[in-house]
Amino acid sequence: MTDSLILGLSSGSACIATCGMVMFPYLMSGSAGVKRIALDLTLFLMTRFLVYFILATLSWYFGQALFSNPVVRNIVPGILYMVFAVLLVWYSISKNSNPDCPAKFLKTVNNHRLVPILLGIVNSLGFCPALFIILTKGATQGTLIQSYVAFLAFFIGSSLWFLPLPLVGKIRKKEVLRNIGILATGLAGIIFMIKGLTNIIGGILNG
Amino acid sequence: MDNNVKIEGMRKSFGKSLLYTLPMFLITFMFMTGGKPNFSDLSTALALGSAFLLVNILYFLMHFTGKTDRYRAILFIIFALSLSYTLISNMLEVRKSMSFSQADILECKIPFCHLVIPMMILPAAFTKSIIFPGSIIGGFANISSMVVLWLVATLVLGRGFCSWGCFYGGWDDGFSRLRKRPVVKKISELWKWMPFAVLIMVMLTAALTLVPTYCSWICPFKAVTEFEQVTSVESATKAGIFLSLFGGLVIALPVMTKKRTQCSFLCPLGAINTLSNKITPFAVKIDKNSCTGCFKCVEVCPLFALTREDIKAGKVSLFCSKCGKCVDVCSKKAIHYGIRGIPAGTMKNFSRNLFLFVSFLFMAIFSAGAIISTFQGLLKLIF
Amino acid sequence: MKKVKIIAGICWAFAGLILIIILFPGLNSYSVSVSKLPFMKLNPRYTGGEIASQIITGSCTLDIRKPVFNGFLKDRKSGFVQLDWRGNIPGMIIYSIDYDTDGNKDFCISVNRKESKTNLESFNPKVKGVVISTHTSYGWSVRVGLLK
Repeated sequence: MTDSLILGLSSGSACIATCGMVMFPYLMSGSAGVKRIALDLTLFLMTRFLVYFILATLSWYFGQALFSNPVVRNIVPGILYMVFAVLLVWYSISKNSNPDCPAKFLKTVNNHRLVPILLGIVNSLGFCPALFIILTKGATQGTLIQSYVAFLAFFIGSSLWFLPLPLVGKIRKKEVLRNIGILATGLAGIIFMIKGLTNIIGGILNG
Repeated sequence: MDNNVKIEGMRKSFGKSLLYTLPMFLITFMFMTGGKPNFSDLSTALALGSAFLLVNILYFLMHFTGKTDRYRAILFIIFALSLSYTLISNMLEVRKSMSFSQADILECKIPFCHLVIPMMILPAAFTKSIIFPGSIIGGFANISSMVVLWLVATLVLGRGFCSWGCFYGGWDDGFSRLRKRPVVKKISELWKWMPFAVLIMVMLTAALTLVPTYCSWICPFKAVTEFEQVTSVESATKAGIFLSLFGGLVIALPVMTKKRTQCSFLCPLGAINTLSNKITPFAVKIDKNSCTGCFKCVEVCPLFALTREDIKAGKVSLFCSKCGKCVDVCSKKAIHYGIRGIPAGTMKNFSRNLFLFVSFLFMAIFSAGAIISTFQGLLKLIF
Repeated sequence: MKKVKIIAGICWAFAGLILIIILFPGLNSYSVSVSKLPFMKLNPRYTGGEIASQIITGSCTLDIRKPVFNGFLKDRKSGFVQLDWRGNIPGMIIYSIDYDTDGNKDFCISVNRKESKTNLESFNPKVKGVVISTHTSYGWSVRVGLLK
C-alpha cells in the first residue's frame, strides 16, 4: 500500500502541474460559488474512483489468468515495473519540455455538467506510466481486496493534489511547484525501477 | 562602520588583520584546550597546536587578503577528510570493518548525522518517536546534540551551513576545484529543484516505512563513513547505489562541471536549509549601482544560486550558501556579504567581518575534534 | 523605518553571534533538555520494544519484549517480537516462548551460538519466522516475525 500511495502522490503532482491548470477553468466556468466548485470536484473525483475500481477488478482477474506460476509472478511484473518505471522517468522529463494535457479536447464540450465526469474519465484513463505500474501491481496481488487497496492508495495519493485546486489562483510560483512535481514523478519511477530489479533478482534466485 | 570600501577588496593591513584574528585566537584556544591546556603528551600537543595554527592562520589570511572562499574551502575540505578518517579508523579499530552489523542496529549504536533530520520530522510528529537506531543522549554523535547543532547553525547561517558546517560538503567542494575549467558548462536550471523532490520523497517514504530511506538507500557518503553489511540482494543493491552516487555526484560531476552537484541535486537537508535562508540574519547582497553585468559571479557559483536575471534584478536566490566564491571573483565588490535590513552596498566591511567571525567560529569549533584526532592519527603513523 | 530595519538586522546578527558562542559550551545541557522532549525516544522498531517478561535460568536472563506492530498512523499487519539473552548464555539455547501471554506456547526457538544457526518451530500461524538472530555486546538477540 505504501508504494501505491507514494506512486499516487508523486504522479499526481506532475499531473496537477500540467493538467490542473487546464482543468481549473472547466471546474470554475459558469460557477457562482464554492458549492458549485466543490460539487464539480466531487463529481470529478468520484468518476476517477469508479474508473479505478473497474481497473482494479480487471487487472486482478487478468493477473490471475496470466500469472499463475509463482516464478512468472515475480519475474514478469519485475520486468514490467522496470519498463514502466523507465517510461515514468522519461514521462517526467518530457512533461518538463512539453507540458501538454489530454484534457484540452474538453474545450469542445458544450454541456458543462458533463465536463467533471469526462475529465474524471480522461484523467484516470490517461494511460500514463504511473497507471501502467499500478495496473501491474493490481495484477500481482494475492486477492481482489488487495488489488482494491492498492488502487485505493493510488487514488488517494493522486487525488490529494486536486483538493486545493479551487485555491490555485492564489498560489504563487506555480512554475517551481511544477518543476518539483515533475522531478518527484521521475524519482517515483526510479523507486519502481529498483523494486522491479529486486523482484526480478528475487524471482531468478527463487526459481 | 566603513561604507567607503576600496575597489581593490576587503584587504586589511597586517596589524589590523592580527587584531581581527585575536578574538578567534582566544576563543578557539579556549575550546580546543577546554580551558585547561595539557601539553604533557607530545603527539596530542603537536596535533592540537597544528589544528589551532591552521584555523587561525586561515582566518588571518581571510582578513589579510580580503579573500574568503579559498581559505574557507581549505578548512572545509580538511574537515570532511578528517571526519571520514576519524570515523573509518575508529570503525576499523573497533569492528575491523567499515560496515555495521545487525547487532549494531539492534543495540542502536549507529552514529547520527544531520542528513537524517528531514526524515525524522513526520514520524516524530505522528508517532512521537525517532526512526533511527542511534543514541538519544550520550555517546558519539548522539541524536540530541546533532539536532541542537544543526538547528542553531541553520537559524544563524541558513544555507550557509552547507558551506561552513556540513562535514560532507567538503568532498564535492574539493572535487569541484580539481580542474581549472569546466568540461560541462550548460546544466538545466530544472535540476536545482531536485533536492526538493528528493526531500518530499524521502519524507514520505520514511514516514510510511518508518525507515530513514535516504540513509538506508541513497546517501552517497556511506562510501566514506559506514554502511550496512552486504549480506543480501537488497543490501548489495544499496551498496551499488551509494557507490554509484558517490562516484557520479561527488567525484565525476563536480570535477566536470566545477559545481557541487551532490549538494545541488540530491541533498534533502540542503532543501530545508534553503528555506531557512529566509530567516537567517546574514545574506549575500548585490549593489546594483556597482554591478557592471559581467556575470562572473554566475559562472563561479557552485550551487546554482545566481542567474543572469537575478543579477540584473539585484537579487540572490535562497540557494546561496554564502561560500564567498562570487564575492571573491567580483572586481567591483558589487556582490558582498550583508546583513538583513541593511541596504545593499552599505556597511560591506562590517557585514563581512561579522559574518566571517560567526561562520568561521562555528566551522572551527565544529571541526576541531575531527581535525585534532586526524592529526594525532597521522603523527602516530609517521612516528 | 529604514533605521529600524538596520538596527533590527544588526541586533539579529549579533544575536546569531551570541548563539554560536554559547552553543558549544552549553551543548551538553541543551542536548539533555532536547532529549526530554516527548518525541525524543527511539521507535520500538529500533529498540525492540519494552520488556514484557523475563525468564531467569541460573545466571542467564531472557528478556521477552512486547510484540511490535508500530506503524505510521496505525499498527501494521506484520511485526516482530524480540528476545534478548544476557549474562552467562549457554552455547545451545532452546526455549519455548509464549509471546502473547495466552498460556499457549507460540514457538520454540533453538540457537546454536557457536555455529550461528537458529531454528524456529512455530505452533501459532501468526508466527512467520526468524527475522534477525545475532550476537550482541550483551549476549544474543533474536527477532521473530509475527502477523497481527
